[in-house]
Amino acid sequence: MTALQLRGIKKSFGKTVVLRGVDLDIHGGEVLCITGPSGSGKSTLLRCTNLLITPDAGEIFLDSVRVNQRSVRPEWVRQKIGMVFQSFNLFTHLSARKNVMLALRHSRKVSRSEAEQKAVYELNRVGLADRMDSYPAQLSGGQQQRVAIARALAMDPEVMLFDEPTSALDAESTHEVLAVMTRLAREGMTMAVVTHEIGFARAVAHQIAFFDNGLIIEQGTPADIFEHPQQERTRSFIQKILR
Amino acid sequence: MTGPPDFELPPSPASPGARSTPGPVRSGGTWIRVARRIFTWHAWSHVVYGVIAVIVGSLALYELGVLGVYRLSYALLILPGILNGFYTSLELVAVYIPLGFGVGFVVGWARTTQSLVLRGLGSAYVDFFRSMPPLALIFFASLIGAVALKDTSLDPYTQHNITLWLGVIALGLHTGGYQAEIIRAGILSVPAGQTEAADALGISRLRSMFTVTLPQAFRVSLPPLANEFSSVIKDSSYLFIIGWFELAGAGYSYASESYRYHYAEAALVTWFEVALFFFVLTYIVTRTLRGIEDAFRVPGLEAATL
Repeated sequence: MTALQLRGIKKSFGKTVVLRGVDLDIHGGEVLCITGPSGSGKSTLLRCTNLLITPDAGEIFLDSVRVNQRSVRPEWVRQKIGMVFQSFNLFTHLSARKNVMLALRHSRKVSRSEAEQKAVYELNRVGLADRMDSYPAQLSGGQQQRVAIARALAMDPEVMLFDEPTSALDAESTHEVLAVMTRLAREGMTMAVVTHEIGFARAVAHQIAFFDNGLIIEQGTPADIFEHPQQERTRSFIQKILR
Repeated sequence: MTGPPDFELPPSPASPGARSTPGPVRSGGTWIRVARRIFTWHAWSHVVYGVIAVIVGSLALYELGVLGVYRLSYALLILPGILNGFYTSLELVAVYIPLGFGVGFVVGWARTTQSLVLRGLGSAYVDFFRSMPPLALIFFASLIGAVALKDTSLDPYTQHNITLWLGVIALGLHTGGYQAEIIRAGILSVPAGQTEAADALGISRLRSMFTVTLPQAFRVSLPPLANEFSSVIKDSSYLFIIGWFELAGAGYSYASESYRYHYAEAALVTWFEVALFFFVLTYIVTRTLRGIEDAFRVPGLEAATL
């Protein structure tokens, strides 16, 4: 089953063409890792998916419902697609628990006690049971990112998007966050992950999409992409990051 | 690489990089917390110390013969009148500062929206009210009122009352212009990532304004707001010129009556007393804001420290 379908997504900022008509399928329960050089449009593609950026052209289908049309509220789409950012973006003025509760209370309109229960459950799931009342400034980067994951998970999303979730983290924190993501993948969550963590991609991804210059130039299983890349561009990039 | 690397969750989530100090104690509702912060002995002790210092100091001076018995008796003689002015000032401040905050909030917010019209109106407001001297504004408002009301059927007493309050509103609009800029700066200080995160969670823009942006903007805005409040409190003395018998007005009256008592120090004593009550008035307001600041302090949003 295809959870998310992108067809011919195009986007330019002024004269800079960032996406040149991207087609992409993410199947339910699968993990898709998107990799490629900086500035190739990976993050823009992810942001188009949950309509944080409106694509200039193309179609986005979530469970075969076209979501980038006037009659669909972006809020509705975003409640079904969770997103985790490179810079965490936790709400600075709220404790970890309140961070998770906020969207439940104000987006899903859940009662306070129910939201609280859900927050405790999700924070437990990412191993932060003892840090629930800490403020973001009191948490390490890895802990903050795990709170951000819990916050997105609390909405019970159908798809999770990760935009370079470990790029701002040290080795130890990276390991923490990847561990949580790995477990999530094994539990059957549909995920699209922009990442340069080759170890994670090899171990967890079902599909790898290699992005360059606003297009997916190669897509396949980790074995295909890492062992037998077809394109010259893919080959040179893989060699550089594996070295 | 041989085989996939092992990604198991580490057993202890405690990271050495993180501070382990818990956040401030947060029991009771928000407003109870604010009230507790303001009405603690700690907060009011400063006023008490100030008053004690003045009393002890005066007594010492009296004993030394520097401040004679006549001067002290004059200070006590005018006290009821000065207190009357103090209460009037307190009443005026309680009207025009909240009014200015309301106006400042709306205008400041308007200046941060996408709408060109709202931004233009906001800028025009700020440009106008920041460049007008408060004295001129007060005269303007109350005189326009007087002219407009001249031929109406309202009795002169009501007409006079309306012109008096128009002056107060003018002062509120004046401080509103300054407060708008403080609020705008506060809203702009909240990183774009915060709104983006709220968007990504499916929270509507209006709701994220009230639950994410404004709570942070408000914390950043508090110290400059306290600064503006303490400044505009003293502007209440402008209202004397249109007929408000407030603190400075009381001062003028008693100081000018001092000739009856045949010594120039009477005026000095009067103004000393007026200054003391202005201090108390400002202290009450700034201390209240400090209490609010403390009650809402959160690690990571500590621009407001001290």
